[in-house]
Amino acid sequence: MRTSPVFMVFLGAAFTLGIAVITAELWRLQVVDVAASKENQRRQNTRSILIPGMRGRILDRSGRVLADSRPSRVIMCLPERFANKGGITNIANAVDSDLERLSAVLNLPRPPGLTHERIVRHMRESSALPIYVWRDIDDTTLARFAERADEFPGFDESVRAERIYPFASLAAHVIGYVGHDRPENDTAPSTHYWEPELKGRSGLEERYDGYLAGVTGEQRVLVDVRGFKPRAADAADKEASVRQPADGLDLVLTIDAPLQYVLERQLRGVLGAGVVLDPRTGAVLAMASSPTFDPNEFIPVLTHEKYRSLADDPDHPLLNRATSGTYAPGSTFKPVTALAALDAGADPEAEYNCRGVFTLGEFRLHCWDRYGHGEIALHRALRESCNTYFSNLGRMVGTNAIVRTAREFGLGSKTGIDLGAEAPGVVPDAEWKLANSGEPWYPGDTCQMAIGQGMLLATPLQMAVVCAALANGGDIYTPYLRARDSWMPPPKPMRRIHARAEDIERVRMGMRAVAEEGTGKRVLFRYGERRERYRLRTTCAAKTGTAEVGRGETRRKNTWVIAFAPYEAPTMAVAVVVERGESGGLTVGPKVHEILASRFGEELP
Amino acid sequence: MRKLLHIDWIMFLSMIGLVAIGVVFIQSAGAARQIAALHAAWRSHALTAIVGILLYLGLALLDYRKVLKWAAWPCFAVAMVLLLAVLGLGDKVYGGQRWLWFFQPSEIAKLATILAVARFFGRKEARTDFKGFIAAMAMLAVPVVLILAEPDLGTALVLVPAVLTMLCAARVWIKGLVTILLAGLIAAGALLGAVAAAEREPDRAKREAILARIPLHPHQIRRLRVFLNPDLDPNGSGWNLRQAKLSIGSGFIYGKGIGKGDQKLLGYLPPSVSMNDFIFAVVAEEAGFRGALVTLGLFLAMLLSALRVGATCNDDQGLLLIVGISTLVFCHVYVNVAMSIGLMPITGLPLPFISAGKTFLVILMAAFGLAQSVALHPSAPDNPENQN
Repeated sequence: MRTSPVFMVFLGAAFTLGIAVITAELWRLQVVDVAASKENQRRQNTRSILIPGMRGRILDRSGRVLADSRPSRVIMCLPERFANKGGITNIANAVDSDLERLSAVLNLPRPPGLTHERIVRHMRESSALPIYVWRDIDDTTLARFAERADEFPGFDESVRAERIYPFASLAAHVIGYVGHDRPENDTAPSTHYWEPELKGRSGLEERYDGYLAGVTGEQRVLVDVRGFKPRAADAADKEASVRQPADGLDLVLTIDAPLQYVLERQLRGVLGAGVVLDPRTGAVLAMASSPTFDPNEFIPVLTHEKYRSLADDPDHPLLNRATSGTYAPGSTFKPVTALAALDAGADPEAEYNCRGVFTLGEFRLHCWDRYGHGEIALHRALRESCNTYFSNLGRMVGTNAIVRTAREFGLGSKTGIDLGAEAPGVVPDAEWKLANSGEPWYPGDTCQMAIGQGMLLATPLQMAVVCAALANGGDIYTPYLRARDSWMPPPKPMRRIHARAEDIERVRMGMRAVAEEGTGKRVLFRYGERRERYRLRTTCAAKTGTAEVGRGETRRKNTWVIAFAPYEAPTMAVAVVVERGESGGLTVGPKVHEILASRFGEELP
Repeated sequence: MRKLLHIDWIMFLSMIGLVAIGVVFIQSAGAARQIAALHAAWRSHALTAIVGILLYLGLALLDYRKVLKWAAWPCFAVAMVLLLAVLGLGDKVYGGQRWLWFFQPSEIAKLATILAVARFFGRKEARTDFKGFIAAMAMLAVPVVLILAEPDLGTALVLVPAVLTMLCAARVWIKGLVTILLAGLIAAGALLGAVAAAEREPDRAKREAILARIPLHPHQIRRLRVFLNPDLDPNGSGWNLRQAKLSIGSGFIYGKGIGKGDQKLLGYLPPSVSMNDFIFAVVAEEAGFRGALVTLGLFLAMLLSALRVGATCNDDQGLLLIVGISTLVFCHVYVNVAMSIGLMPITGLPLPFISAGKTFLVILMAAFGLAQSVALHPSAPDNPENQN
């Protein structure tokens, strides 16, 4: 016996030591550092998915639904049901062939965006999410799918929320439209996937997106090594909702849908815009731009072709002319000139002899009445819209006084309405002219500005604010579209026009004369077929405007009316512009009459 | 047959416990997959174990001295022929040519070599001088070279220490053994050092040049690099190690419950390894530190009771046999678990009794059947039977 049993003791000790080393390392790995491993594992095998809340509705002031969320049936492809097909290429091929088959069965064309490459990318990047194949399935198609669903185990139907605008194009420029986008969520940097969310792209949908969209929820799902949701039942209960999505809030507007409808009907077929304000608060009762569009056509997706056809249309249907279209206000600016002059101390009774043309050095300006109005004072000059009188008035009070008053009325700067894009317009002065055209200011420029021409530019919304200020006696309100909650105090005016009350009243009386017997007769009266006159069942005041723009071939007239009613305690202030009209009184007057008549009615006196 | 009542029960029962653990976790690892063959793997493991236990008890009843006398050399010869055959005829699996029909000849060769060495140096007249050392090296070199040619570095890596420990126990020319040991350590250190130097080399071309000169297969170099730097390629060659560590680390003390390991259910621990070389990760994830401790404890109980049998058998052949097989199993356990937790480079070695692998299970049971035979057939110091 050469071998010593003692050797066995050493060997046993070595074995024990080896096992002990391993045990110590296991203790470190499994017990001491367990949190790190668990966290790494969680990071590896869970994905969080952002789930948008149901988007809020948009209602008019009486609760009529202008924008709603409706259920939309979709047929979707569930990638995990193809997971057993092997590699990504095989899976994508299987999805492809099933898609073609299903497309034939349902008689629906395969969505052009859903190419083979798109499917491969989806499998690579977001295989825990379904692929929405067809949206807005009708009942017949759905029934056909349900009948043969067994043949397509990788596909399923589901309901998703889609936007609908029940009144189609009504107030389209105000409401705007939505697109699909990634939900916003700053608190989830670990987010891997998201369900597309409806996101406001324009108008109030964009302006109040955070309010309408609600709070995005977050769901954690377990994914396997290839990123598919596991089909094993015991894995399913590890799916956890970290935060339930919260539905968005309803947005109530100041818009009055019937009035909005009347305004839009009056603008149908012409290029133009109109705004109706409540002069007591600045609330926008109606706002329209023509031509318009139907936001429903953007759903479920605004195709590139559709967008291009709208964007490239020479009439610019997507442009909201009410806030972004700038026009020379023409004679509708004369009340502003008049107030500037009265404030500067001009005598309203002083007469000026209109001979049909106004000359100042080389500057010549024709009155629309080429025979001249003769001896004329402020009241009749407003009523007859005498250009020479106001040119002379402008020359007398000077540029600065007119500019100051115009800016007090809010011209030349944004009104601050709660609606995205807005143009500030232009109230030119010497500095502005030098900067923009490089030419000095001529006295003739002042005369041009006094009658609302030349470089002066205003949006219909701005002129509505001017009209509202004239209506309420000089208060400038910030126009707004979102209705104030009932507990909120009535809005305060942003500022007051610097003018004596009797001066404002003098201008208002002039505007009343415009409507009753001047250029704006068709605002107050409608002439029937037998020349009978229908009169608004209220009193009103107005000012017409016919601004000549362009030269030569492009020479055209943009026609205006601003009006408010009732004269004594106005509740509506209207501004309407129609491009390429004949004259303010003839082209726009009857339209404003219809708008006021829809509210106050008309009578045959 | 009554003799069977006198077997070493600790050794037997701890083996049964390990096989049971194997059946349970092979079932668990296989159930996560859609493939029917994997679902049934636990059943074939259990059936193989039953065959193995019959073999175990049969060999326990035979006198191991007779077995060694009549079978050691023929077994060794057959095993070497099979190793040659597998190089010519074998099927390629995962980069190695290890399979001949339904079994792995290298597993048989491991036991055959141990039997031959035990037989050779267990005899009274065995030479333990330089010539004996040369003979031992020859007996070791033939299977090791053939196994390395497959290539199956892991198997070679456990066979060499097992045989060297036997030679150590037999006191064969200690200087030679020490030289071999030092040479092995230096070689391993040099390889690892070369890879480490390459890792630190910022210039890509120079790095490639250094790596190209290391006399190892590319996949072995990759494993060494991952061992030195586990975050080197987490989605490629570092994947298995990273996922195994995540499995084990997320198990905590109590585990996630049998069949509920996320890593395996979700396919992060690849199905190709979860019931084989990396089954310990499944055990540690689902049964936790507790389960891992029980498993390691059963191994230790089995090995220590085998050593006790060897120490008391009064026979060099029996003692060497037991030293050989228990060192072999210990090396398997140590290398397998250590690689799963990043203490050693990855080498494809199964966990004895637990990993799915029919050849290895049968061979192991046969080996421990012979160890039981040592327990059942003790020798008196002056027993004439001891003289053959």
